[in-house]
Amino acid sequence: MPVIPQPVTHLVAALAKLPGIGPRSAERIALYLVQAESGSVRQLADTILDARDRVRLCEICGALTEQSPCAICSDARRDASLVCLVERPVDILSIEKSGTFHGKYHVLGGKISPLDGVEPEDLNIAGLERRLKQEPIKEVVIALGTDVEGDATGFYLAKRLARDGLKITRIAHGIPAGSGLEYADEVTLSRALEGRREMAP
Amino acid sequence: MAAESTQRLRRTMHLAYLRLRDFRNYGRLDADFEPGFHLLLGDNAQGKTNILEAIYLIATLRSFRGVGGAPMIRHGQKGYFVGAKIVSQGEHEVKMYWSAQERSLSLDGRPVQKLTDYLGVLRTVVFCTEDLQLVKGPARARRRFMDLLLSQTHSTYLPLLQRYTQALRARNALLRQPIVDPVALEGFSRELVRAGDEIIRLRRELVPRFSPLAQEAHHRISAGAEALRLEYQPSVKSDFTTELAQSAARERSYRSTVIGPHRDDLQLLLADRAAAQFGSEGQKRTLAIALKMAQADYVTGIHSAPPVLLIDDIMGELDAKRRAGFLPLLERAHQARGQVFMTATEANWPEDLAQESLGWRVERGTLVKQAGSSG
Ligand SMILES: Nc1ncnc2c1ncn2[C@@H]1O[C@H](COP(=O)(O)OP(=O)(O)O)[C@@H](O)[C@H]1O
Ligand SMILES: [Mg+2]
Ligand SMILES: [Zn+2]
Repeated sequence: MPVIPQPVTHLVAALAKLPGIGPRSAERIALYLVQAESGSVRQLADTILDARDRVRLCEICGALTEQSPCAICSDARRDASLVCLVERPVDILSIEKSGTFHGKYHVLGGKISPLDGVEPEDLNIAGLERRLKQEPIKEVVIALGTDVEGDATGFYLAKRLARDGLKITRIAHGIPAGSGLEYADEVTLSRALEGRREMAP
Repeated sequence: MAAESTQRLRRTMHLAYLRLRDFRNYGRLDADFEPGFHLLLGDNAQGKTNILEAIYLIATLRSFRGVGGAPMIRHGQKGYFVGAKIVSQGEHEVKMYWSAQERSLSLDGRPVQKLTDYLGVLRTVVFCTEDLQLVKGPARARRRFMDLLLSQTHSTYLPLLQRYTQALRARNALLRQPIVDPVALEGFSRELVRAGDEIIRLRRELVPRFSPLAQEAHHRISAGAEALRLEYQPSVKSDFTTELAQSAARERSYRSTVIGPHRDDLQLLLADRAAAQFGSEGQKRTLAIALKMAQADYVTGIHSAPPVLLIDDIMGELDAKRRAGFLPLLERAHQARGQVFMTATEANWPEDLAQESLGWRVERGTLVKQAGSSG
């Protein structure tokens, strides 16, 4: 039996914990790394550490940023009366790519998922309620995925956020049913944003 | 044959080859199959049913024995591989691999992303001893039967059922929490009702369309002994939202959702009495087979192509009269250039069935074409 050195098995196990990397890919990457030129591996490690050290969450909206508040939150040209509510920081990128939205964002950090123990209080809803008091927000656009949890969370938020002078809309369907924003192409996404409809209070 | 002219109009579907690696007792199997009637003969425990199980797996990604992936891996091996070519309108190549660590499924060389893109590539109807559960078993067996019929005939049904199941599971998880957030619960109730109403509607439409076929099949194989009636029994009587609200106290004490399509049943009545309670063993068996025959007819009607029939060891169980009632199904499959796989042991193979068939001998995990079988 060939013996795999223990540091390699440790590395495989660590890599396999990363999202999207199965045991096979983890093994391939690990074997590549332990045989690569040591300077390039050190550079990769430094790049990972550097990125981790410099990126944080925006204190206002929850986006990934080097400086908090983030570029969008500090941009005076963006429409401060309009806030788009998304599940994860990467969803901001999808919507920005579509180029049709000129308001601000708020990252919820998940959706209500009773099966995974995620309750409303685990989401950044209180942060949004604070912003509703402090900022001149007139419309919240709910842009969550169209799976069961996304739709149920949208309903929950529409009830909880309802207050005088605030319009709550949700992006139009057209996003493939049961999926998240990352599966929608830019055209679909900009149509969905333009066709957003007010939710019954 | 005069069937030539009608053949052009008909669509067909058949399994052109099957490749197994470390599947059950098959270390290695490569077999080509023509359309037509295949008879798999062999002693007990040689691997006849295992072949049908593999074909059914290609069609549904499940075992008809109701087991998961692990038991299908050959003892002492890491994973199984099942490959197939299916010829219908076009040709499709399927490859699947299953092990504890790794699963993959590809169609025509590309990984399958969504089940709905895959299911329907091969349609099968299986006849096996487990079918008796349809009559004797709990309501779950009959719900699954309705689900199978609907997913074989409506491309939107399976995603709908998955959505309902997700909503149901999430809702039940909420109900188990010590303090239930009423707004969050309402959010999931809405999703449950939205998907559930659609499921109820489709099941309600299905039953009157399916019933005549079941009655006819039953009439044929029971020689008209008792009248069969199928009755859809939805858990929701008129309005899901209202009834869900009315069940609030009960679902609090059970800590789960007590009404909805996951509680539906399909009543089977012989001469107006519940077959499960009042039928004899023979009547139950006949009824189960009739339901499967009707499934084959129903799927054929919707797709204008007969499904591949997988018939596991049931002919021996039937007396000559009932067999005679079953034969027209095989006859029709034959005329439509469909494909049938039938297993039997030498001992229980009825002589009167020696019609045109392609013979195979199954012996300790090998499949050998029989010389002298007519084609
Ligand atoms: N995972 C497995 N690995 C190896 N052999 C298996 C496995 N599962 C079942 N078998 C064997 O397959 C045989 C049963 O096959 P089956 O197709 O049910 O037989 P039959 O010809 O009676 O229909 C038995 O010999 C059993 O030991
Ligand atoms: Mg068998
Ligand atoms: Zn920000």
